[in-house]
Amino acid sequence: MTDRLIYLDNAATSFPKPPEVLRGMVETYARVGASPGRSSHDLAAQAGRLVDETRARVARFFGAPDPDRVIFAANASDALNTVILGLVRPGDHLVATRLDHNSVLRPLHHLAESGVVTYDLAPFDGQGVVDPDAVAALLRPTTRAVVMTHGSNVLGTIQPVADIARVCAGRGVPLILDVAQTAGLVPIDMAGQGIAAVAFTGHKSLYGPSGIGGLVLMPELDVATTRFGGTGMDSASLVHSQAYPLRLELGTLNLLGVIGLGLGLDFVEGQGMEALHAREMALTTRLRDGLAAIPGVTLYGADDLRGHLPVLTTNVDGVHPQDVGAILDGDFGIATRVGVHCAPIVHRDLGTIDRGAVRFSLGAFTTTEDVDAAIEAMAVIPHGVG
Amino acid sequence: MAEPVRTRELRTVAGQEVWFDSEGFIWEPDDWTEGIAAELARESGIERLDDVQWRVLRFLRGYYLHNGRAPMNRELRNGTELSLVELERLFPDGIRMGARRLAGLPNPKTCLD
Repeated sequence: MTDRLIYLDNAATSFPKPPEVLRGMVETYARVGASPGRSSHDLAAQAGRLVDETRARVARFFGAPDPDRVIFAANASDALNTVILGLVRPGDHLVATRLDHNSVLRPLHHLAESGVVTYDLAPFDGQGVVDPDAVAALLRPTTRAVVMTHGSNVLGTIQPVADIARVCAGRGVPLILDVAQTAGLVPIDMAGQGIAAVAFTGHKSLYGPSGIGGLVLMPELDVATTRFGGTGMDSASLVHSQAYPLRLELGTLNLLGVIGLGLGLDFVEGQGMEALHAREMALTTRLRDGLAAIPGVTLYGADDLRGHLPVLTTNVDGVHPQDVGAILDGDFGIATRVGVHCAPIVHRDLGTIDRGAVRFSLGAFTTTEDVDAAIEAMAVIPHGVG
Repeated sequence: MAEPVRTRELRTVAGQEVWFDSEGFIWEPDDWTEGIAAELARESGIERLDDVQWRVLRFLRGYYLHNGRAPMNRELRNGTELSLVELERLFPDGIRMGARRLAGLPNPKTCLD
């Protein structure tokens, strides 16, 4: 084997990052790396302007009207905790889906175990899609919100969120989306689609660094402060600032991450989101077709790749998925993600909860040669082991 | 949804009482002996470990004891001078449940809890 790495784990984090993102991060941080929103010197003001400009860009990117309601966070899980914990009151009911990641499921489970809320999970169909009617059937007068993934990190299926948003709007329930897998690949128009909030991360298809993400809120959705600390405002008061975005932020911002997020947005907008998605899906289709032709290889939710992300999850008969991942990595230099992908309910429904599965996820820098190498490697495994 | 609990079981293997986790990995790697490896191998269908299998197990043990962790995939390939496909074939239960478990290394619980 060669030392070349074939990186097919972009749903975990995109790699490599565009060189211009990394270079720009270092250059800008070296120039304006002061504490944004603190101090009265010009450098702090410059850093603060850069943060404000990035908030405005993020708001535009997600079709939200108010940059002040862009709240920076460490990642999508952090943002989801902020919005879920800040919304619920004792006795509330929440709806999520069986496709969801632990970033949604664990806060809900914690709240339910604590006796604060109850929740229900909408099922997905044989193609990995949640029927809006299934969500509607779970709504109650006490439902505080529907919180769900926009795109499954296991099956790669994009959910019909505009239809689900219509169902929610008809019942006066806000729809909160986990867009960790879709931001940067699928257009999201919060105002146009009736989405009350999105939780995003910067390090996947937005091509920024890890450690930066955020929550974007529509003006109608108010979220209470659940964590408290310094904001650089109202410092004489012991009460946490209540104006957005500081209401939901605390401590010194991850300025380097914010810079990287802005540069990642430059990359995505420069490439074109639709072009990125189309290119990656063409490669995903090639990979799907190649894997489907290998005896002993099972694919999950990949019959119809329309409305899909560049994610394919698979297993090889008779070989533990961790061993498949080890062989791909050790013998062929192919990086994938094995396990249950922090989404246990999906794997329970697929019947793969005990051993997990092997996930291939493509990115902007995946090539046809990478895909063909993955197909060839996978073809060796059942044959070589059997 | 119940909280996952890591359970363990006390068994007598090769005349020694040893704790195992729910997947059959030795709970405390220091409890491992070559006698335990041989008996676990028999349970998995290997009547007698051959020289190549012993070489793999001893490499895994040695690497673990020296580095405090299991070898990474390429280190395993380089250290055993076997491809991982060959390693998979060498043990009926494969690399993870076969070689690694028989060598008494900790259960690699990456996102499987």
